[in-house]
Amino acid sequence: MNVIIDGQSFEFEPGDLLLQFCLDRGIEIPHFCYHPALSVPANCRQCLVQAGLPARDRATGDLVRDENGKPVVNYFPKPQTSCSLELSDGMVVHTQYDSEEVAAMQADNLELMLINHPLDCPICDQAGECPLQIQAYKYGPEGSRFEFEKVHKPKRVQLGPNVVLDAERCINCTRCTRFTTEVSKSHQLSIIGRGDTNYPMTAPGQVFDDPYSMNVCDICPVGALTEDYFRFKARVWEMSSTPSVSDFGGKGINVDYWVRDNHILRIIPRENLSVNEYWMPDAARLVYERYNENRPQGPTLAGNASDWEAAYDEVANILKAANGKVVFLGSAYATVEDNYLLMKLAEAVGADAPQYISRIQVGSGDNWLISDDPAPNTQGCERLGMNPLDPVLLKAKLAGGEIDVLYVLEEDPIAAGVLSADDLLGIKVILHHYHTTNETLAHADVALPAAMCVETIGTYVNETGRAQRLRPAKMIRSMNRSLMMEAGVGQSRTDRHGTPFDRWYNEDHQIDCQPGWEVLPAIAERLGAPMSYKSPAAIMAEVAEANPAFSGATHKAMDLLGVALQDIGEPV
Amino acid sequence: MTQPFNGSLLRPDFVPGEPVERHFSDVELVWTDDEQKQIATFRSQYPTNDGAVMKVLWLAQNKFSWLPPEVVQFVADTIEVPYAKVYGVATFYTQYYKEKKGTYVLDVCTCFGCQVCGGYDILHYLEDKLGISKGETTADGLFTIQEVECLGACGSAPMLQVTNGPYVHNLTKEKVDALIDDLKEGKMPAFESVTLPQDETDLGGNRRSDTELVTEYQTPPVSETLH
Repeated sequence: MNVIIDGQSFEFEPGDLLLQFCLDRGIEIPHFCYHPALSVPANCRQCLVQAGLPARDRATGDLVRDENGKPVVNYFPKPQTSCSLELSDGMVVHTQYDSEEVAAMQADNLELMLINHPLDCPICDQAGECPLQIQAYKYGPEGSRFEFEKVHKPKRVQLGPNVVLDAERCINCTRCTRFTTEVSKSHQLSIIGRGDTNYPMTAPGQVFDDPYSMNVCDICPVGALTEDYFRFKARVWEMSSTPSVSDFGGKGINVDYWVRDNHILRIIPRENLSVNEYWMPDAARLVYERYNENRPQGPTLAGNASDWEAAYDEVANILKAANGKVVFLGSAYATVEDNYLLMKLAEAVGADAPQYISRIQVGSGDNWLISDDPAPNTQGCERLGMNPLDPVLLKAKLAGGEIDVLYVLEEDPIAAGVLSADDLLGIKVILHHYHTTNETLAHADVALPAAMCVETIGTYVNETGRAQRLRPAKMIRSMNRSLMMEAGVGQSRTDRHGTPFDRWYNEDHQIDCQPGWEVLPAIAERLGAPMSYKSPAAIMAEVAEANPAFSGATHKAMDLLGVALQDIGEPV
Repeated sequence: MTQPFNGSLLRPDFVPGEPVERHFSDVELVWTDDEQKQIATFRSQYPTNDGAVMKVLWLAQNKFSWLPPEVVQFVADTIEVPYAKVYGVATFYTQYYKEKKGTYVLDVCTCFGCQVCGGYDILHYLEDKLGISKGETTADGLFTIQEVECLGACGSAPMLQVTNGPYVHNLTKEKVDALIDDLKEGKMPAFESVTLPQDETDLGGNRRSDTELVTEYQTPPVSETLH
């Protein structure tokens, strides 16, 4: 079955809706209320097109042709909203590219929509990424004929703990109310009032405390709903965004990290229909500060500042002296690559295979995007063959003098409650840590600041067995070829990275830390067991090749949407 | 002319999450057996409970005389529809009273048809007579005056409606005086059917059969203040 859009013929499946069909094929039609994950109300009237069906002879059913032999088209008498128009065979569509009439209707509609819109773009957080702003520039009129004072509505309404409403900017597309009705099902928002004074609101006495409330800020096509934590923090054109994966829990939520001057300022969901669709919980956004605050600067030896080379030497000396009496702790927060290298290091020094601290608490999740598992890579550890740590056994070993050294990769065993400070008396502790608030840090003989998920390259495997790639959203202090290649530093860059505000221009707030895949080979080399990998991608390629549980999970294959790994069954 | 800046529009009627003033206690917020039967019937008339929202709100307004938030919530809980949704419906329709009104709400039409026939003359006359402005309620709680848009009776302009009920057609100042006197005695105007010109010319004196009070179409007046 065929449809002709702007003179070009396309094949379609029955049930396809015109707007989504066009968007999927790169034909942009302006729209506001339509969202692929929500119902189709067709209330913004922006996606108007002209459409018609070929005329057929009633008796014979044949196409009616004009004197030139061209089929005659019976156009619908009024323009159609393309979002709600179901395609049918032979349909002829004219969009704004093809029809001046359609372009004029869309411009008029935008003029109507802008009658009471405040045009406070210079102070609006949405400016720069605002569908209304962008589409008004592209399809709107040059000016407005409505030179009256605009209707005033409530501003700065704190709808809930995380969302602020500016009702004057609202164009009543109802995306937010449909989100709470159809997706999060909290039913907390409704459009109240009528005519030019209506806006979305909670019911009297109620608060918009939906755990997924900030998704309405993402889908709001204007600056009416904004995230409380991000209001007036940065203009979007001052930031760079990096597609990556959240380390908030086992779901492996796909996100964009928005960064200015090496500070993570905002985390928003990235579309991945196999994982989080378009959504993420508020809690996963509000962790942004942990990538910026309380970060260590450079390694320390027994609490004293040191340099990386000296720290590596010290670690190597400690491991040599331990004679295999070492316990390695992997981490469900570290990447597959780092955990894999840790396993190799453990093997090289003759220690038992690393174990990881499982943090799964059955029932703590919400069966949607908040997982029972607060750590992002438990599956990755499992698939590498690591077992969850038995704290009782470890404590007994430590107390019994069987262990001289505890090597901890990106974990905090004291805060996790598996060890107490007393357990570590007389034990040498080597610690890769994210934060200066790490409770095990005080007992560390060597502390090696570790790159967090926003600074490294690597792989997380989510709880459904999907391997997904991390990309560096902010730079660490040391020059690292792999990180710079990944981030495009030194290559010819598109103007996305061309502003003086972008992440690489400014060296402020860079953390003096190292990814595990830098540190672990450096230590292994000093122990005479060199691991030579060109990049984290090479490590992952080796894992994918050698371990069937990671079959196919190369960095290239994972790309932006990840790779679903083979089911390995329930962990034993 | 620009409209005067209305600062109150910048504030919502309530702050989300903060408690709102209550006007009815939980003891008052109960349905009688008859009302419950009625509500069950409404619900059975529609495939989902959403359909019954308007009818149950109407029932509640007739019972409580207006719809403060706790009554809206009571309705929502009764028919198991989200509170926010019911509140959205209640605020959409001006016929649902979100503030306490007088016993008699006088909706004076000043839309185009009535305007040229003296809708504003009637509105201002009423305001002067009752000593209140539109949107206000008299001190005795008897009358509220509202300016409304078209009520669909342009043929008998100017006109007004009493408390979402009967229309009063072909208004004159004398008719307004009589109406106010009647209402003070508790006498609601009777339903009145007004014919249209074509009822006489083309339809052979077409009349409604279900009402006694039928008035023949008359050419509406022209507003005193219209130039």
